[in-house]
Amino acid sequence: MKPDPSTPPPRSLAVVLISAIAIVSTALTLALGSPRRDGATMWTFARLHYDIYAPAIAEWNASGKPPVTCSVLGVQAIEQRMLSSFLSQTRSADLLEVERRVAARAFAGPPEAIGFVDLTDRLKAEGLMDRINGPSFTPWTSRGRIYGLPHDVHPVMLGYRADIVEAAGIDVNTIETWDDFARVLGPLMLNPDGTRRKDRYLLNLWETHMDALESLVLQAGGGVIAQSGLPMLDDPINARVLAHVAAWGHGKDRIAADAPYFSASGNQLLLDGFVLASFVPDWMCNLWRKEIPQLAGKVKLMPLPAWEKGGRRTSVWGGTMLGISREAKNQDELWEFAKHLYLSPDLSRRLFLEGDIISPVREFWNDPIYDQPDPFFGGQARGRLFVDLADDLPPRYNSPFGAMAVERLRAVASELAAIADATPDATVADLESHAQRLLTKVQEDVMRHARRNRFFASEVPGAAQ
Amino acid sequence: MKHSPARAALAPWILLAPFLTVFVVFTLYPAASSLWLSTRQTFGPGVSVPVGGSNYSNLFHDPSFWKALRNTVVFTLGSVLIQLPLSLLLAIILNRPDIRARTFFRVVLFSPVLVGVVFVAMLFSVLFGKRTGLVNQLLHASTGWDLDFPWLDTYVMPALIVATLWQYVGFNMIYFLAALQNVPKELEEASRMDTAAVWSRFRHVTLPAIMPVGTFVVLLSIIGSFQLFELPYILMNGTGGPEDRGLTLVMYLYQTGFQTGDLGFAAAIGWVMALVLIACAAAQRLISRKAEAA
Amino acid sequence: MNPRQSRAMSMAPMLLCHALLSAAALLVLLPFAWLAFATIRSGPDFFTSTFLPSGDGLFGIAWDRLTLENYRNLFVTAGFGRSLLSSLFLASVTALLATLVCAMAGYALARLEFKGRGFVAALVLAALVIPPPLLVASGFRLLFDLNLLDSFAGLIIPAMGPVFGVFLFRQAVVSGVPRELLEAARSDGCGEIRAFFRIVLPLVQPMTAAFLLITFLGVWNNYLTPQIVLQSEEKFPLAVMIAQLKNVYYQDYGLLMAGTLVSIVPVAGLFLFLQRDFVAGLTSGAIKG
Repeated sequence: MKPDPSTPPPRSLAVVLISAIAIVSTALTLALGSPRRDGATMWTFARLHYDIYAPAIAEWNASGKPPVTCSVLGVQAIEQRMLSSFLSQTRSADLLEVERRVAARAFAGPPEAIGFVDLTDRLKAEGLMDRINGPSFTPWTSRGRIYGLPHDVHPVMLGYRADIVEAAGIDVNTIETWDDFARVLGPLMLNPDGTRRKDRYLLNLWETHMDALESLVLQAGGGVIAQSGLPMLDDPINARVLAHVAAWGHGKDRIAADAPYFSASGNQLLLDGFVLASFVPDWMCNLWRKEIPQLAGKVKLMPLPAWEKGGRRTSVWGGTMLGISREAKNQDELWEFAKHLYLSPDLSRRLFLEGDIISPVREFWNDPIYDQPDPFFGGQARGRLFVDLADDLPPRYNSPFGAMAVERLRAVASELAAIADATPDATVADLESHAQRLLTKVQEDVMRHARRNRFFASEVPGAAQ
Repeated sequence: MKHSPARAALAPWILLAPFLTVFVVFTLYPAASSLWLSTRQTFGPGVSVPVGGSNYSNLFHDPSFWKALRNTVVFTLGSVLIQLPLSLLLAIILNRPDIRARTFFRVVLFSPVLVGVVFVAMLFSVLFGKRTGLVNQLLHASTGWDLDFPWLDTYVMPALIVATLWQYVGFNMIYFLAALQNVPKELEEASRMDTAAVWSRFRHVTLPAIMPVGTFVVLLSIIGSFQLFELPYILMNGTGGPEDRGLTLVMYLYQTGFQTGDLGFAAAIGWVMALVLIACAAAQRLISRKAEAA
Repeated sequence: MNPRQSRAMSMAPMLLCHALLSAAALLVLLPFAWLAFATIRSGPDFFTSTFLPSGDGLFGIAWDRLTLENYRNLFVTAGFGRSLLSSLFLASVTALLATLVCAMAGYALARLEFKGRGFVAALVLAALVIPPPLLVASGFRLLFDLNLLDSFAGLIIPAMGPVFGVFLFRQAVVSGVPRELLEAARSDGCGEIRAFFRIVLPLVQPMTAAFLLITFLGVWNNYLTPQIVLQSEEKFPLAVMIAQLKNVYYQDYGLLMAGTLVSIVPVAGLFLFLQRDFVAGLTSGAIKG
């Protein structure tokens, strides 16, 4: 079919339309340009923090110092953009308030490539190392140098249904260890219709709960990463903890079930009394208050049962730091700003009142607001309870292999759960030997990965140079 | 209008110039330099050290890589074997002369392609949620299925197959539709006259006629499925899921390259993927040539 | 068999076919309906109702609890207006440039005789099997070295020469532009470049429309590349903004849904408007495998 060259070709609507869009949008984009970026930008991931900082930031900006603009981004967004800009050495935000897992990514390369400013000397010179709770620095330390100002402490307690427990006449002060916990509260597990799945369990725990696993392991004196930055997965303490976790969730003496945190279904299960006790770091109090207000007056806090008599009765969950980007200008001013934000007694008070978070600055712990009774938690002085545990916090060390190690820990926990399911008569000691075997294997997995990393070669025994 | 032979000789190169420039700089050069890059270990584009062939040997021993490979192959097979016959079926139905509202169906079935990957991730994370998700609830009500079935953790690959099915079945359907409409009408009429059974008509007339497009679509599908990344990445919040169950090859590439910063290792993964896909493409040409000869 | 029997026999399959199609259409449309309704529900209603919140209004629906605040938040607080502009800009400019570049190259490879044509054609064909993931890592490094990171140019220029585009246009020219026509034009004294714009482009119009749309769609929904390349927030296209709206701990679902709807409407509108051109382009016989 030969087209007739004398008739004009049909106009393509598609071409016209898209060209029109292109012209208009190009014009607008050029006209709008990029906003001028004098002053500094700060990123945070928590709306709560943003709201608390806002007046302090406004005060700073009004006082003639270089202005700071703060924005809230999603956790994944901050992580990607932070990494992307650090790796490509472009400037994104000048101050980054990031939490543990995100910050750990910045420490994966050689020290000269870490995107945060090394704050160690400033901290030492200004005496801040003594003023701030020691363990709070550990997640932001890489190869002996500190890269962030700690935001919090985050001790963990057990939040339990006091209404149910006290109605049964049980006094939680008799519970000192995890064995006590299972024994004393055991009778409260309900199973009226005798089904395999009970209607009430004691502990909110599941083997894929990475945070809970890590908290428990740290409480017991084990851990995922050692101070050297290398994995310590095959520590026998870890095996012991994981064996218990498996037995709690899957053995014939099962006491744990899953009421997922941060979900509507999990919240409902808490209200139903499906699980009696959950792991509650200070920030979880705030979440409960806001998302499950119907729990008010029904719950109380108790220290974590220890792994042996006289053992540690708390652990740690979560953590946030404020870091200064290496590409930022006016780093001295930014350091002053960071201190203005984190070391102000007023802001710390607001952080506690609005976010339930206790400050890492030791001298603030004398503040009477921590002693105020909290009706949500049955009149307990929640703040003081957490503060009293602050000294006991386990340190958490940082490593580029941290994420992988925790993931492997979870994998072992899952396998153990399967073994416990398959052999319901297995004792904790049996599970412990399985756990040790599995942990040794994953330790080697992570070590193999660590040996590959040329930027850590000096730290890793047996690594290729 | 005069034009010299010299100008005429230049014309092709003028027309080719923009493409060739972009092609050489942004396709050929990176492809070649990625081979060099794969012999180094980096932390971002600015920091790198040479490591020889150890990226490849480490890859060979890396359990995450093999998991990713297995997941990707499983997904690709499942996707191609389930999605493409469905697309073809829909296209055949839509091609029937007695279908009303053909444009409506065509537009509607094609529309999921327009949606971004974030919406698909959101939609299917709600549908496949553990206790509250519609899928588990329906299955539980009808067959006593486990209400807690972990579609988004342990069995995320099947969930992904369903999600990408929803997304792309209409797209492939359009391709098949185009192919079917190019089948010469006389051929179809002739066979319809013959009271041949539907299935045999399909096998002996329709299928061979659309075979060239068919293999093309299969190849496209395989290549596309092999590169699955954004959907599981968003669905599982940037992780690979428990025990890397949801890890795909490109996700692993992205994690090592842009999260750990080791672009060298990522390049090595990229090369292995390229080799596998080249093998597939070569196989497709062979099969296609054989089919044409038949 | 008599006509009545055969008509009856062909009724059943027809009904079945329509039923199947309708079921498929429903499976596709329901999520969109869910999305649309989700954007006008407010916080607490979000999880409790699937489409519309139940209440005391007409049809048992609480009409008064519907809200447009999600859209307001989207444009006022979250700055989606700028993202929309960026998306429109990136998608339309890339689509136009890529189409032009590929059409020119495809034509040159299809109909022009020149030295090295075989080599370039073979190169193009071979390059079809290079998977994008291979180029991601070294491409990022290249952009870093060329100082093109965090710029629109860094996204547009690499996307200007997709190999499959050249391949498609080459096929389109081969099947849609007869040699005789070009010979006639040449003997009339028409220059090669002029011939391209006057004769070839109009003849491959169906493919042009289809390719424009496919490229537009691809860039519009592309989330990975812009996220890696761009740093400045004002340049982020919709796909990236929406992905970053997802906050791990507290999710503003309403905002997320509204954002998603806003990102779907322009492309959906474009496709609906131009769908005939699009399908015509695909069926123009250019796809032969």
